[in-house]
Amino acid sequence: MTAISDAATAIPAPAVTVRRQTNSGRIAMTLAIVALVAVAVMPWWASTGTIRMILELCCYIAVAQMWNLLAGYAGLVSVGQQAFMGAAGYALFVLAQTFGINPFLAVLLSLIVPAVLAVPLYFLLHRLDGPYFSIGTWVVAEVFRLVASNLPLVNSGAGMSLRVMSQYSAFERNVAMSLLCAFMLLVTLGGSYWLLRSRFGLALIAMRDNPVAAASQGVDVSRLRFLVYVAAAVGCGLAGAVYFMAQLRINPPSAFDPMWANVAIFIVMIGGIGSIEGVLIGSLIFFIADRWFGEYGATYFVVLGLMTLLVALYARTGIWGLLSRRFDAPWFPFRRFLVDPNR
Amino acid sequence: MTAVLSTHGLVARYGDFQALYGVDVELHAGEAVALIGANGAGKSTFLRAVMGLLPVGRDMVRLDGEPVGGTSADRMVKRGVAIVPEGRRLFTGMSVEDNLKVAVDQAARLGAKGGWSIERLHRLFPILKEKAKTPVQSLSGGQQQMVAIGRALLCQPRVLLCDEISLGLAPKVIREIYAALPEIRGAGTAMILVEQDVGLAKEATDRLYCMLEGRVTLSGRSAEVTREAIGEAYFGAGHAVV
Amino acid sequence: MQWFDALVQGILLGGMYAQYALGMALMFGVMRIVNISHGDLVILLSLIGISMATAWGLGPLAVLAILVPLGLFMGWLLQKAVLNKVVGSDPLPSLIATFGLSIALQNLMLQIWSANSRSLPGGGIESRSVDIGGIYIGLLPVIVLVVAIALTWGLDLMLKKTRFGRALRAAAADVEAAAMTGINPRAVYALATAVAVGILGFAAVFQSLRSTVAPADGAAQLIYAFEAVIIGGMGSVWGAFIGSMVLGISQGIGFRIDPGFGVLAGHLVFLIVLATRPQGLFGKA
Repeated sequence: MTAISDAATAIPAPAVTVRRQTNSGRIAMTLAIVALVAVAVMPWWASTGTIRMILELCCYIAVAQMWNLLAGYAGLVSVGQQAFMGAAGYALFVLAQTFGINPFLAVLLSLIVPAVLAVPLYFLLHRLDGPYFSIGTWVVAEVFRLVASNLPLVNSGAGMSLRVMSQYSAFERNVAMSLLCAFMLLVTLGGSYWLLRSRFGLALIAMRDNPVAAASQGVDVSRLRFLVYVAAAVGCGLAGAVYFMAQLRINPPSAFDPMWANVAIFIVMIGGIGSIEGVLIGSLIFFIADRWFGEYGATYFVVLGLMTLLVALYARTGIWGLLSRRFDAPWFPFRRFLVDPNR
Repeated sequence: MTAVLSTHGLVARYGDFQALYGVDVELHAGEAVALIGANGAGKSTFLRAVMGLLPVGRDMVRLDGEPVGGTSADRMVKRGVAIVPEGRRLFTGMSVEDNLKVAVDQAARLGAKGGWSIERLHRLFPILKEKAKTPVQSLSGGQQQMVAIGRALLCQPRVLLCDEISLGLAPKVIREIYAALPEIRGAGTAMILVEQDVGLAKEATDRLYCMLEGRVTLSGRSAEVTREAIGEAYFGAGHAVV
Repeated sequence: MQWFDALVQGILLGGMYAQYALGMALMFGVMRIVNISHGDLVILLSLIGISMATAWGLGPLAVLAILVPLGLFMGWLLQKAVLNKVVGSDPLPSLIATFGLSIALQNLMLQIWSANSRSLPGGGIESRSVDIGGIYIGLLPVIVLVVAIALTWGLDLMLKKTRFGRALRAAAADVEAAAMTGINPRAVYALATAVAVGILGFAAVFQSLRSTVAPADGAAQLIYAFEAVIIGGMGSVWGAFIGSMVLGISQGIGFRIDPGFGVLAGHLVFLIVLATRPQGLFGKA
């Protein structure tokens, strides 16, 4: 916006304004705010079972959006974000259970761990290009799992329980979980949307479309990638901390479960990579499919895997990509339109 | 008499950018034709389009009158077209000998027959025999160009496309390479030479085409076309020749 | 003495890893594709082999004679049906496609063979060992190592001396220039993947003779193969072999320090190599 007004003072340019919101965007934004408030006040309208289900959905959305930010914009295809989920989850348990810090404060404090770990890891992993980066992130998640399995501080392979939670009533816990869910959505989805609409957004989108050209246009690609990697680590950490707080138990195989990578990839690829709308569509599809077909176990995952394969082969833009080719009605618009107010 | 190779309204684009606007070129058996023009006139694009490296319409390129446009590069080789690509594009990490053997292998696989062998190539460019075991990336530019030409010849082409084989080379080396062209033509191979150096192009060819902004602006016998005509075709009418 | 023993056992373990790593080195060297389902293919071949051995009473050699051609065919099919559609400068589609395939294969195997661990009966060969100066060396691990060396040597020779090998190296150096020289890249790719998965036929037999296999084991095999390729340096067959040795020795010595530390020691050596020599021990800087 500032760039435009600067330009307007320099040259007697036609009086245009920049329009960034659309009708579909206004409707979606209203719905999003309503949904967010609904999530925050869940204890007053939903049962504990429903809250747990919605919490799971929120975690899917958060993790998927972080993966989308990494793979869809920064070109960093990670299959090891569970490393940060587990790290933050464990940090929460250690802080709250071992050191007796208030668990709700500990959730926020635990985010320092993924942020601090992501910095050296990025400098190690960014040396691997393309597909090798992906397996590198997986190795890191495995290292985390093995370290946790051997670390007495986190009770090694036996895992930990969050017994301190029993001092709160079920209602108090539900209120906290609901607020944390709303906060998580606000940070991951809202934060991504804010990022995409900000100055960085243009650079991110340019980078998504063509990293080499973006670099030649002055986008500091490696710095931006680093920031996205750290941000995604924190986002996934938040999802991990919230998820394991609700589970009340953590152990190495569950904390660093590669299932999260599968879920994130499935959601983003089916929904549509490189868009927030796609993440929401994909999360809902996965969530419903999981409820309906989860009981079929292995067969269900075979279908999930094959669908991911087919999308990668034949419909790389996913459902949102197919939809937006038909209808120009973005829910979260970040494009800039020049409008002549005299017309 | 039908041309060995001809293009008919050849159109090519890179994404949204159109690079060729209906180019008609003919090449007859045993003939050498030059394609001249400024940078960005579409010369290299023309060769790439003919070679099947860009998507083009089937009828836009004909080989012996048969439509072959859009045929993949490896099949064009099978049909007797080879290219010395811009920037040489040798197989780095492999020796001179192995670079040449790749072409020999494929010619054998595709059943392409012709008079070229590694021995004959060694007589044409003796330095390649001496450097047979050297990795191509440690050769001089001129030697690399010889390998690139050799690799194309060992595909046993009836039509050879050469993209700026003099680019970046010392005058002495250019003379050495151009001295080999008569022998190549003598073997019955027709050639299209893309060349920046107009003098060199006129000397080495029978006819020439001049391109500007994706169109042919002049064609004629190399010996007869005047410098003024070329200058006008090169820069466009109305532009002063400096 | 016990460290020397750890070293020897590590080298023998490295022989097993080399059999996984060779195929990956070949595929990445040529197509820049990392096949995430690499490990699952080993497990799939293993389970097919075990089922055939139990159903028809086949010996390990007969199973090998079936699995290698089956691996070749599966690799060819994988390239034709999936990878040729996604090969290109953008690594994302191939990654996602093989990732999806990996999930599907893993769960399909779970459905057919259940989560149980199985192994291939070797007719006593798996338990035979020789005592050399106080170190027990299993006969089977030695065979595995010898086969790994033979496969590496054969693959290296194939790349250097055959028409296919030259075409492969040419396509790896410059796909478009290779096509201009008459090479059909897709055919070369299909053959390369066939060879890569064919080698996994060997790995499948030896893996299921040496220890057990279960449907979920593929991820570990993929990671070991990957670490070996990176440690050794990309684009070199012998590099992948040496990388496997380094990984095997690291794990062997790690296990001797603490049984919980073995696999982790391998990962740590990998991360150290990545931090200090990202191009790998044998890669060009």
